[in-house]
Amino acid sequence: MIPFVVEILSVGLIVSAVLALFLDEVVYAVAALSGTFLFTAIIYALNGSVFAAIFQFAVSVGTLSILFLSGEMLGDKPTKKTSSNRVLALIAGGVALSLPAIFLSISGVSGATSDISFGDALWGTRGMDVIFQALVILTVAMGIAIVLYQKKKVAS
Amino acid sequence: MDFVILSLVMLAIGIYGLLTNRQLLKVFISVELIATAATLNFVMLATGQGLGQAFLILAFSTDTAVSAVILALLVIVARKYGTSDIGKIVQLMQQKGETEVEEQ
Repeated sequence: MIPFVVEILSVGLIVSAVLALFLDEVVYAVAALSGTFLFTAIIYALNGSVFAAIFQFAVSVGTLSILFLSGEMLGDKPTKKTSSNRVLALIAGGVALSLPAIFLSISGVSGATSDISFGDALWGTRGMDVIFQALVILTVAMGIAIVLYQKKKVAS
Repeated sequence: MDFVILSLVMLAIGIYGLLTNRQLLKVFISVELIATAATLNFVMLATGQGLGQAFLILAFSTDTAVSAVILALLVIVARKYGTSDIGKIVQLMQQKGETEVEEQ
């Protein structure tokens, strides 16, 4: 395994997050966000959370495709292009922001201790799962109802 | 390497973007960054354990629902006002409000 690979990925994660927020062109910002999601998925996989990595990758692909489309449709065209100096400054800022995570550590923080397997955790806690899924479906239904109501209001 | 600090930095970047950006899509990207920071913290504190990953799926489904609602509202606002700049939208809303008051 390459040494310091997680540190390099963390720097990439923060740099791509900074670029996603501060690039003027929306499409480039979405491309940078795809880097954020990809780095997150790789960090999960390298730390043994393979299922989390797969879910992160799958969900982010859907989000990014929608964001690319809406970025093209709705994004206002910027009056000027982002200069290469600004991009370099953003990358340097991102690297600087990622340094505390590499060199500092919060003492006393320990991981949760549980030896439940992924399958047991997923299927053994179905009660809470069902409640959360119901809440999620309710939220989506409310969102769709709002959209339809607005459309009807505009049409009438 | 401390993933708690990493996720805190991500959270701070997301909140800064949420407060300062004027583009609606950038606001949406900020929300995604905040959600990513939360899930990163969640997974890394339960590295390799099933429970953390199982609850991550719930977090993802909630995040996806939130994203769908935000995008729906974003499309409505952008179509109604013809722009995705928050400043311009507020101006247009104020102008519309003044016109309605004058009409009354």
